[in-house]
Amino acid sequence: MIRIEHIETPGGMVALAMIDRREKRNALTPDMLANLRDCAVRLREESHSTGPDGVRAVAIGGEGDVFCSGFDLSMCRDDDLAMGALLTRLSETVRAFRRLPIPVVIGVQGGAIAGGCALLGGADFVVVNADAKLGYPVVRLGVSPAVASPLLVRAVGAGRARERLLDPGLIDGREAARIGLAHECVPDSDGVRPRMMEIATALAVKPPHAIRATKLWLNHVDGTGRDDEFDEALQASLSLCGSEEERERLAALWKG
Amino acid sequence: MNQVSELATIDRDGAVARLTLNRPDARNALSLDLLAALRARVAELAKTPDVTVCVIEGAGKAFCAGMDLRAVLDEPGAPEKLLSEIAELTLELRALPMTTVAKVRGGAIGGGCGLMCVCDISITHPEAKIGFPEVDLGVCPAVVAPWLALRVGHGQARRILLEGGTMTGRRAAEIGLVSTVVEEGELDTRAQALSERLAGAGPEALRATKTWLNKLESGPDGGDLAEMVRSGARLSASVVTSEEARTRLRQMFAGSGPR
Repeated sequence: MIRIEHIETPGGMVALAMIDRREKRNALTPDMLANLRDCAVRLREESHSTGPDGVRAVAIGGEGDVFCSGFDLSMCRDDDLAMGALLTRLSETVRAFRRLPIPVVIGVQGGAIAGGCALLGGADFVVVNADAKLGYPVVRLGVSPAVASPLLVRAVGAGRARERLLDPGLIDGREAARIGLAHECVPDSDGVRPRMMEIATALAVKPPHAIRATKLWLNHVDGTGRDDEFDEALQASLSLCGSEEERERLAALWKG
Repeated sequence: MNQVSELATIDRDGAVARLTLNRPDARNALSLDLLAALRARVAELAKTPDVTVCVIEGAGKAFCAGMDLRAVLDEPGAPEKLLSEIAELTLELRALPMTTVAKVRGGAIGGGCGLMCVCDISITHPEAKIGFPEVDLGVCPAVVAPWLALRVGHGQARRILLEGGTMTGRRAAEIGLVSTVVEEGELDTRAQALSERLAGAGPEALRATKTWLNKLESGPDGGDLAEMVRSGARLSASVVTSEEARTRLRQMFAGSGPR
């Protein structure tokens, strides 16, 4: 459900990670998130090679009409531990991509909802189509999107992060690009993947040593190289797991 | 060769001072001498309480072409010195009690764009060349990254520095890297109007507000800003002296011919 390809480009390898569970609008399971996280760990090794096999940039996309619709909530129906596992794997995955010493580009077509929107925190560049839907509508379900807050605050500023995490409404791709949740907006969803690859290919040409030093320094400057804030944000989300409100609201989903 | 003191000059017009980078034959690239002259001028300004507004500009066609690496690339210890001087200049410029305005004609590149970010307000024209092409040259813009992040936010700073290259003044205004963009023919009059407007404000209110804004500013992650800028300078210096950077810089210097 997570597929990795290595694509040769003039500057070196671009790794393309595709989320492919299109029949479920790429809804994430703990295993898929663990696969993505492990993929980041492997790519870190592969980025060290200075030869032509060295990975110089990463692109992450989703197959089908929607980049990612969030957690697969059906996992939580019979498993009390599933939500905690999803939140924990999400936090690990996003940190692992954020800390890669090479640029990460994500392409969002259709939508990036809840956990899918939180994945964007792991990217340095986000391309989105104008009508895509983005946001964190999980407070409705008694779930807190606090886990996404450290990187959302860096992307859009503290004031806008408040709006996005507390308001379960969604915004479109144009608005996402305007506030900094995405960096570039293309008119059609078909244009997302080519543009994502174009950006990754252009970044792969840059001198690897300078890119590595700059990216890791940016993580130091904005504090995302450290774990403390991520750990606290994850705990804030985990603290609601199994609460009465969450159980009632999730149960209401299955009743329809 | 200019006298060091002539490399940066100050003119006064009432409460408005103009600080000019005066190395036009090198597009005001930041050499050790120019940095020393700028630091001396900024120290003078810090002791001139009746100046409310300081407009910073470049003599000739460009505001500032960035660090002058050409002379120092192969001189042991020199890149470190250059970057540490830039770090100190930016910290001293930020600490000035008067409101600073960068008037950017032509271009503000690399360290020059960093100086612009340190100023409180900036004005340029749509065709100006602005940005941080450091990574393209194998160089790491660590010393200016904290200033850029304070100016445009962390997300935008990340994109600008990793993407490298330059952008137009128009684009720079769209993303908030520059405060205002006006037609080139109007740059002088609009910058003049801006500095007069600022100078018309209550000098104490302006000074208190700027000092307060500086006080609010810890490092972008809440740490010590000065320490972050200084360690950024050390990182930039270590990358500049790497083989990857030297090779690319030598190629660039060979291609551009003598200045």
